Amino acid sequence: MNHIKNASDAASRVNMLTRVIGRLKPVILGTAGTMFLASCATNAPQDTWQPKGPNAQKIDSLQKPVFAVAGIIGLIVAAAVTYSIIKFRDRGQPIPKQSHGNPALEITLTIIPALILAVVGVFTFRTVFDLNKTSDTQMIINVTGQQWWWEYDYPANNEYGITQPIITSGQLVIPVGTKVMLRETSRDVIHSYWIPALNGKRDAVPGRITINRIEADEPGIYAGQCTEFCGLSHANMRMEAVALSKEDFAKWVANQLKPYAAPAEGTLAKEGETVFLNQCTRCHQVNGLTRADGTPVIAAPDENVWSGAVPNLSHLMSRNTFAGAMFDLLTPECRNDVWKSDSASFGAKYLAGVSEPCLNQTDLRGWLRNAPAKKPMYANPAQLAATGGKYRGMPNLGLSESDIEKLVAYLLTLK
Amino acid sequence: MFTPGSKYLIAITGLSAVSFALYMLLVHPSAIGAVALIGLLAATSLLTGITLFTRDGHASEGQTSAAALDTPTPSMWPLVGAAGFALLLVGTITTPIVFIFGIVAMLAALVEWTVQAWSERSSADVAYNAQIRQRILNPIEYPILAAVGIAVIIFSFSRVMLAINKDAGAIIFIAAAAAISLVGVLISVRPQLKKSIVGTIAVVAALGLVGAGIAGMGVGMREELVVAAQEDHYAHKECGAEKSEHFDKGVSETISATSGADATIELIDGKLTAHAQGIEGLQDSITVRRSNPINIIFRNKDAGEFRLSAYLGKTKVADGVSEDLITCTQLLPQGAEQWLTFTIAKPSVSGEPYTLSIPGLAGQSVEVVVP
Ligand code: HEC
Ligand SMILES: [Cu+2]
Repeated sequence: MNHIKNASDAASRVNMLTRVIGRLKPVILGTAGTMFLASCATNAPQDTWQPKGPNAQKIDSLQKPVFAVAGIIGLIVAAAVTYSIIKFRDRGQPIPKQSHGNPALEITLTIIPALILAVVGVFTFRTVFDLNKTSDTQMIINVTGQQWWWEYDYPANNEYGITQPIITSGQLVIPVGTKVMLRETSRDVIHSYWIPALNGKRDAVPGRITINRIEADEPGIYAGQCTEFCGLSHANMRMEAVALSKEDFAKWVANQLKPYAAPAEGTLAKEGETVFLNQCTRCHQVNGLTRADGTPVIAAPDENVWSGAVPNLSHLMSRNTFAGAMFDLLTPECRNDVWKSDSASFGAKYLAGVSEPCLNQTDLRGWLRNAPAKKPMYANPAQLAATGGKYRGMPNLGLSESDIEKLVAYLLTLK
Repeated sequence: MFTPGSKYLIAITGLSAVSFALYMLLVHPSAIGAVALIGLLAATSLLTGITLFTRDGHASEGQTSAAALDTPTPSMWPLVGAAGFALLLVGTITTPIVFIFGIVAMLAALVEWTVQAWSERSSADVAYNAQIRQRILNPIEYPILAAVGIAVIIFSFSRVMLAINKDAGAIIFIAAAAAISLVGVLISVRPQLKKSIVGTIAVVAALGLVGAGIAGMGVGMREELVVAAQEDHYAHKECGAEKSEHFDKGVSETISATSGADATIELIDGKLTAHAQGIEGLQDSITVRRSNPINIIFRNKDAGEFRLSAYLGKTKVADGVSEDLITCTQLLPQGAEQWLTFTIAKPSVSGEPYTLSIPGLAGQSVEVVVP
């Protein structure tokens, strides 16, 4: 008697559940549909399904079949589970005969997945080894992570006209169709370098050098961001790889090697240079900048900043972003013009750098006014006991508006 | 009124008060001894107070509790606690290690005394009480005592080994090992050996070792080690072409890691070559990151012993005086390899080029460029 009552109770509960699900159907379908549509976004620069170079292509050619196989198996399993749940749900029927162990079935169900995994494993290992090949490298670039921006330096390489090492930050500039080897490390905590369109991610570990091959097929900008949690501004530690045609890359190199040109006497920029000498050169290096007495200015980031490094500003306006690629140096219109251009005209537009009308005054001035307010950084002078008085990030320097005016004029000359 | 325990403590309190006063008058009021004595005074006064208050644990006529009627077994823990308190006070003005010893002694006394007092009241059966005390404390006491014992043995033995010369060290080591095995054999073939004999052997050995350790400390380290420490040979100061007296001792000739090197520098047929990681071919300069530890491998493939020396710029030692910053590998025989790690904080434009070179081999160098 009791048993029957319980069974009918259970049945009515299942019925209710079915009814609830029925009513929620539009909501469930709507959510799933939105998620599906979101995955088709056209403006998704960090989409892992859109390889733009041979290394990312290798990963893609591996992940697509694996995804298909795993997806099919996943669907089969889900369908089998759903079928069993509905077909064998408790309607008060007697408990079926219990069986224990079925060697034939168990061995089959072990061997089949093992075979599938073995096949996947063979191709995975092949890809892993391919991605670690070093013998065909054409150019090396040192990539150094620190809280919260990336520095790039290009060792001398006569083949590409790099007669003197080049140093830059935020945007990694590479020639198309060239096998570039990034030698990564970090100056403070572990970071991870990932430009999804060009290759997988690779950790930048202090005290070790890890290598990461990248190569871009077409000129363009490829976005990425730090993928190893590294502290307060981890989310703001972005990077962009800029691929230029071989000719454009040579022009870029020539520009980076251009000696320092001091602003003309009597200009606002010249006044800005003086402010810069007083306020900024204890951290920021500008190659070729000299003091009034003619001695070269050597910045001392090692004495002021925890990581020991600060972006080199010698050619600041040749890049399109600043502060770990978190902000654009270009206004939105000018930026769109560069990003949306076709690969034929892209190079010229990128090489034009930042001109005064295109400068994103708002963010750059905001940065100079109070950098930690724009990007969270440990830059409160009262709380530096743990780092022995050194900053992590750029502090608020308390500059006056007129100093900022002069500095912006000066920074615009650093092309 | 005055029980035997409180009489005893009153006497100690009086004695420490007198010695404290004498010390203040005769030695120095601010000397460490004064602090120790006032610590002792404070500790004994406290204990005296407690004993008087509790009437030394003796039940007075009116009380009938069976537990209270028992005489507590004598305990050494209050004494340890007091000594700990004194050490703690001395430690505050001398070295932290004394302070830590004080805290440890006080904690030990606290735990031991509490458990002891509690166990003695747990029943009227003395044997049962002792057993319950052991059940609780032995699992803590044995490991701690074993660790302390091992530490004492290692410390004493190491003092001996540092004091005597290397050959004597080898002989003593062999002798000590042989003696230990002999005693082990003796005990195992004669399991019925009297406990007192085994105990005596252990105590004599321990005392001998500690005595030797103290003597070793008195003698100090052997000449060789003293000189090496004075010359600071770990600071890579001896970067000349000749074999140095200390720095080149015990050269390790191989390295086990191969990844993570910025470059490999090889000396072949009198020529220095550089190979930066990740790029084919040889280079005559290497580019390294600023403000970041740089690891390079030096491999000597030339006949003869050579070291690699890195010139890392200048460092200011006094106003207007600066010194070359140099670091180097040890003198490596043919076929050997070693790491060299250095950090350069200033870019190359700040002065003379940074270089890697071989002392005593002119005209061969690799430039280290820092962008
Ligand atoms: C205490 C050291 C310090 C001082 C002084 C300093 N900065 Fe910075 N600055 C930094 C650090 C660190 C960053 C990188 C912050 C980040 O991206 O997370 C930075 C970033 C920048 C950037 C962005 C560069 C890039 O490529 O991403 C600009 C522009 C800049 N600073 C300008 C200035 C100016 C102008 C001054 C002088 C008024 C100045 N800074 C003074 C530490 C300093
Ligand atoms: Cu990071």
